[in-house]
Amino acid sequence: MVDFGDHVDDATFSQILEMDEDSHDFSMPLVSNFFEQADETFEQMDAAVESKDLSELSKLGHFLKGSSATLGFTKIKDNCQIIQQYGSNLNVDGSAEPDEDVCLRRIKDALAAVKVDKAELEKKMKKFFELEK
Amino acid sequence: MQMQSPATIDVDKAHSPSLASPFPNIDGNLLFDLSPLPLTVLTPSCRIARVSDRFLHDWQVSREACVGQQLVNFLERYLRPAGSPAVAHLTSAIDDAISSRAERTTKQITTKHASSWRARVLPIFKEAELVGIMLEWQEGPAALDESEIVRPGLSTDEAFRILVQAVKDYAIFLLDTKGRIATWNTGAELLKGYRREEIVGKHFSIFYGQDDLAIRKPELELEICLREGRVEDEGWRYKKDGTRFWANVIITAVYKDGVHVGFGKVTRDLTERKTSESRLIAAYEESEKLKSDFLANMSHEIRTPMHGMLSACSLLLDTPLTERQQDIIQIMDESGQVLLQVINDILDYSKLASGSFSITSDIVGITSIITSVVRSVQTTMHSGVHFELFLAPDLPKSVQGDPLRYRQIVHNLVNNAAKFTDKGTIRVSVSVQMEDEESYFIMTEVIDTGIGVPEPAAAGLFTPFTQFDATTTKRYKGTGLGLSIAKSLAELMGGRIGYRPNPDRHGSIFWFTAKFKKIKSLEQLQDWKRKVSGSRDGSPLPLSSTAPPDLQAEFSKIASTKSLLLAEDNIINQKVMLGMLRSIGFKNVALAANGQEAVNLVRGKPAAFDLVLMDINMPILDGHEATVKIRQSGIGVPVVAMTAYALKGDKERCLEHGMDDYIPKPVEKQYLIKTLCKWLVRTKDYRMSAGEELARLQDLRSRLKPALSTLQLPLPIPIPSVPSIPLQTQVFTIPPTIPPTEVTDLPSPPKQISRFPPQVFSPSGIQPALTPPTPRTEASAESGSQAESNANASSEAPPLLTSPEVQLTLPPPPQQTQQTDAIPESRASNNSDQIEAQTNNSPHQPEAEVPPV
Repeated sequence: MVDFGDHVDDATFSQILEMDEDSHDFSMPLVSNFFEQADETFEQMDAAVESKDLSELSKLGHFLKGSSATLGFTKIKDNCQIIQQYGSNLNVDGSAEPDEDVCLRRIKDALAAVKVDKAELEKKMKKFFELEK
Repeated sequence: MQMQSPATIDVDKAHSPSLASPFPNIDGNLLFDLSPLPLTVLTPSCRIARVSDRFLHDWQVSREACVGQQLVNFLERYLRPAGSPAVAHLTSAIDDAISSRAERTTKQITTKHASSWRARVLPIFKEAELVGIMLEWQEGPAALDESEIVRPGLSTDEAFRILVQAVKDYAIFLLDTKGRIATWNTGAELLKGYRREEIVGKHFSIFYGQDDLAIRKPELELEICLREGRVEDEGWRYKKDGTRFWANVIITAVYKDGVHVGFGKVTRDLTERKTSESRLIAAYEESEKLKSDFLANMSHEIRTPMHGMLSACSLLLDTPLTERQQDIIQIMDESGQVLLQVINDILDYSKLASGSFSITSDIVGITSIITSVVRSVQTTMHSGVHFELFLAPDLPKSVQGDPLRYRQIVHNLVNNAAKFTDKGTIRVSVSVQMEDEESYFIMTEVIDTGIGVPEPAAAGLFTPFTQFDATTTKRYKGTGLGLSIAKSLAELMGGRIGYRPNPDRHGSIFWFTAKFKKIKSLEQLQDWKRKVSGSRDGSPLPLSSTAPPDLQAEFSKIASTKSLLLAEDNIINQKVMLGMLRSIGFKNVALAANGQEAVNLVRGKPAAFDLVLMDINMPILDGHEATVKIRQSGIGVPVVAMTAYALKGDKERCLEHGMDDYIPKPVEKQYLIKTLCKWLVRTKDYRMSAGEELARLQDLRSRLKPALSTLQLPLPIPIPSVPSIPLQTQVFTIPPTIPPTEVTDLPSPPKQISRFPPQVFSPSGIQPALTPPTPRTEASAESGSQAESNANASSEAPPLLTSPEVQLTLPPPPQQTQQTDAIPESRASNNSDQIEAQTNNSPHQPEAEVPPV
């Protein structure tokens, strides 16, 4: 068994694995779909950062947060949350952050972090599904 | 100057030998000219006759410039400022000296060369004749006039300077026009810690903190000061050592000759006062908190045993007792009730007084509240009293507000009316007073024919602890807080309360208004929600982490027969939800990728889905909007929200938008099962009740038709869709043409149905609808005989009220042609139990879900 560390919420992810009927016929394509979705979303986020479109970033953050939460991918989810918050001119604690440049900077940081998280997790997942085969 | 005895003295004649000294070697002229005193000799007409050399020297004038001149003209040129009051002072001193024949000394007079002089005025007489006036000038210290005192950085009046300098409790100093410090006193040095030499010349903003500097407070203060003449401020100021003190600062603009020369600044240290203030505030807050905590505890601690006692009393009353025992326990029970009311009043009042009373927001069914209050009060009424109930036809079915508080006011007013009315009527009338986009203003009036309120007492009716009559205090127990509480409650609900005498008869009219929010366009679905809410109490399901296995097994059997719609935009979530639903037994799950698709699917097949799982945050149309649209289409399918927000208030928002429940994301399987189980197994199918209702309505319609064609009188059925017609008008427009006998001939069941619109509160044994359409003042008088004549017709109706004395007057009849339409509409919101009851010819059921007494 691969140790996912704090990348994954075990309870949620095992719920996904429970839905597998034969080997990982459900979870494996789902996870790989998720990574595809994540890559696409990152591209859109990059573009939104380029055009300084905060509300778009908030939307994208919320979107990827939804699916990462469903799969229990905690680290990705948390960074998406940060992107969503600052995209709405809010600090993580919910207080207002009127300075758009600050928001954009924080989003850039979170985006960089979430890309790293995603890459790490993808590696672990690959290993996990190979081992389980 | 007064011209006395215009003697003419020739200037030359003054030098005549007759005036010469008997000692010829002393020349008087020479003596005068060379005198060390500045001297001036005036003719009696005050022209300058002669001056000493010393005068010319001291006043820096030439002999030509003064000799021969009028004194006044001369002085006006040489004194400062021009036109100085000193000239007038001098001439009046001269006049005074002449008339009193005595010497006079003037005040200081300043010349334009800034020297200052007093004049000793010596009138010289030859017997009665004035021959001349001698002025001897005495030099005084150089005096400044008052307007010169303030010149920053320059000399100031000594005494004033000493005073300012010596003050230790106030920092008093001057700023120049730019705000730089110009003077510095001891108080300033002590307070601010700077010495004079290190602070003079610095800008006064040095005393301000960062916060004040950031908002440019020092500059703003000077600006305001220039505009308004002065500015006062309290705030933190900083000393040299960096410590701060709470200061009161007054800055005054200083002008000299109309020119702004700087600012005077007085600073006081209020740190101690500030500290004691904040100690006071803290103590006050603490005591307020203790008080409200105490109240909260009290209300619980007192009420609990009271309820226990009262319950025990009522149980005891049900056991076999002797008459005497019965009486005693009755007294205990009544006293307990009164005590409980008193306690409740006092607690409410304290809460209202401390402002800790809050108004909750809930669905209010005004009609049902009124009917239930009337019913509870009527049991305590005097036997000769009739109730009349007027509910305006345009009264909204449900509104948003605080139902308990509304009930409390109504109860208080109706209860008072019942207490103070021995015979006659108590009329409760409710109408929409005003309506705007957001809200209704509901006017509730309670009109009685009781003892009324004596005029002098009317003003104090709503004052706490007032009872207008000592005799009533004895007769009617109470705290005298009821109306005062009602007033505060009405005001909390955005309304008012008032009293006026009953113009018809002896008695009172108490009225109040309350503002209720509209339940916009969601009204029908809120009603629908209430229908199903019979099975749930609105609180979250007590969910354990795992569902019992038998439940899961049972559930998966049912699940396979159910059809769901999943609205979710994220493909990953779609897949997971589909997988999860499949794993718990669902076979039919339709997908919508956004809110609009969901709405289209549901509208396309209004009865196809057993339940909709609705993501909230979706493109095009979000979950809230989609649900509202579905509800607007009149489709009652259960909608369960799914969202990752999971914040406090999210659930409430979902329910507000017409959703039925809420599952937090990520969706937990057991929670999902529990929730779906609740809506698919335990809740009555929304389609079933709709179908039943439809059938019932059609049945009703067909039965009504013959009845309506027989009836040639306008029926007293209010039509909810009629736009607000003033209530009073309607009441009085009932044509008094149909005698009661004619009415009793009508076919029985349809007549009853038609007579009992849902808003009407109908007691047993009385056919309120058959009240002849007379003006309302006579309604109660005729109702008795009518009740008897109709006793047969209504005997099948379930007894709702125990008192046959209660008389109801219905809202006036609308137009007949609209009635058939109106009935289904007005029934549409009734719950299915009531619907069934009504099809079984039990039209006396009121709309309200109040059980019979």
